[in-house]
Amino acid sequence: MAGEYEQFLIHESRLLDERRFRDWMALFTEDGSYWVPATIGQRSPYGQTSLFYDDLELMRTRIDRLEHPLIHVQTPPSNTVHLIGSVTTEPGVPATDPESGLPASDVLVLSSAITAEYRLDRTRTFIARQRHWLRRVDGALRIVRKRVDLVNCEGAFEAIAVPV
Amino acid sequence: MPDGSLNDRGIASLIEPGRVHRRVYTDPAVFELEMQRLFGRAWLFVGHATQVPNPGDFITTDLGRQPVLMTRHHDGSVRVVLNRCTHRGIKLVAERQGNRQRLICLYHGWTFDPDGTLLRVPVDEGCAPGFKLCDFNLAKAPRVGVYRGFVFASLSPAGIAFDDWIAPMKQNIDDIVDRAPGGEIALDAGVHRYLVRANWKMQAENAVDSYHVPFSHASTVNQKGVQFSRREGDNEGAKVVDGQRTAPQWKQRRSYSVGHGHCWTSNTELKENERSSAVYDEYRRTLEAAVGKERSDWILTPRMHNSLLYPNVSFMGLNMHIRVIKPIAVDLTEVNIYPVRLLGAPEAMNERNTRLLNVTHAAASFVQSDDLEAFARAQAGLQSLQTDWVDISRGLGREEAIDPPGALRQMATDELVVRGQFRAWLDYMSEA
Ligand code: FES
Ligand SMILES: [Fe+2]
Repeated sequence: MAGEYEQFLIHESRLLDERRFRDWMALFTEDGSYWVPATIGQRSPYGQTSLFYDDLELMRTRIDRLEHPLIHVQTPPSNTVHLIGSVTTEPGVPATDPESGLPASDVLVLSSAITAEYRLDRTRTFIARQRHWLRRVDGALRIVRKRVDLVNCEGAFEAIAVPV
Repeated sequence: MPDGSLNDRGIASLIEPGRVHRRVYTDPAVFELEMQRLFGRAWLFVGHATQVPNPGDFITTDLGRQPVLMTRHHDGSVRVVLNRCTHRGIKLVAERQGNRQRLICLYHGWTFDPDGTLLRVPVDEGCAPGFKLCDFNLAKAPRVGVYRGFVFASLSPAGIAFDDWIAPMKQNIDDIVDRAPGGEIALDAGVHRYLVRANWKMQAENAVDSYHVPFSHASTVNQKGVQFSRREGDNEGAKVVDGQRTAPQWKQRRSYSVGHGHCWTSNTELKENERSSAVYDEYRRTLEAAVGKERSDWILTPRMHNSLLYPNVSFMGLNMHIRVIKPIAVDLTEVNIYPVRLLGAPEAMNERNTRLLNVTHAAASFVQSDDLEAFARAQAGLQSLQTDWVDISRGLGREEAIDPPGALRQMATDELVVRGQFRAWLDYMSEA
């Protein structure tokens, strides 16, 4: 079973590396969200800053912009490679959590991710603990929430254009 | 022609009415002088009193490059002291924020009160003859001023009085703070930190630049030339582009330059009477209940977009935040963005503001990230030695005098506000 989840995470990260952002968004449920907290151990995306906290509507706006010919911070575009490892699973949460707004899920997949990003002669690395809360919809796995805790989330970042 | 030296004549030769020499952005020697004469003299934003609500609370920050602590002393007063042990120079506190009733130096244990008073030194029989604790209190910021909870400090004992410096910009601070039904705001909803390989002045100028928006932010504008909505209750955002050109509505914006480098831009007309959502309507009702309908309507009418209190902080009214500029090197700057939390407003309203700020001004935002690209590319372009001058002449000679005397206004797509900043820059940077 862990194999299926690991394959799913690898597939998901590969869509980002291939800049197939619409296909990536299609992995999320309608009530899905993508969250990158700005503090270590952040409990909630509400009322506190986050590097990313996109519901599907904001995600769509973000991707419209990523596909826009005049997105200067992606001219030229970034080239990224994700490495996913240390995958384990835990039971999902049966009901929506009011504090973090996390909807019900079937399974929680924990993993580590290392992402290298190259752009304009510079390479930087994002290292993160990932949590994917997944739900099975018509037999297929869908992301209810992807949470990415960057080790340096409290630091100052140069512009970040693509989801990490 | 600039002769290269940084005496008063040399500095003055870098600034002309409609252009500035590239060295103001690229020369490390100019940057060093800015740290002494501009950031070492000017009133700088330190923090907001709500960041240190209880006795013993502290935040650490830098004024220019000098590490400081803003503390809440036992007596309830807010203090600004240098974050440097008076023994051998250790940076006393490393964390960004916390609470400590006594500040104990990690190295040899000298112990200070939150107001900087030295209380004890270990092994005091070793103190040199004549050693007095009171000679070794933490250095204080020579001058501190507070307006509506916003704490400013000057690292120089002399210079323009705080009241005179803040006076022309009080209305800009009020513009945001008055939106809180309780009449007070808090800066306690986290921070966005971004880093840009560019000179700090790029950010100061850009905060009040309305010329760049249709181009720099083209990717945030939809087919109808309208930017995505940046305020709760707006069903659509501001009209920016008309066809291939800057929209007439956008050209209605005005900028204001009011001395000391202070400046702001007004807003494009937004469809204020159509602004509505469950969250926004409840907020509006709360504000009306607190201050009455007439005043509430006035408070909620957008007048100011972004206001710069020169040199290190701007206040944005549109999606409410405070932006603090921290120069690190001639070509490296950190910027910290704090969402404004309106005390007494429904929390959902504050949550929406914070949420929209994630997509407008985080390092990963849709808007700010293209500005950062522009700043870094400006820094790279200015390495060219074949063209020394940076043009800031738009609207030169077309300034309109307004009240109070000395204040000027013009189209926001002109460059009045940049020239105003350099006028103040020159005042600070001169020797005397
Ligand atoms: S350096 Fe602080 S106690 Fe010695
Ligand atoms: Fe901008």
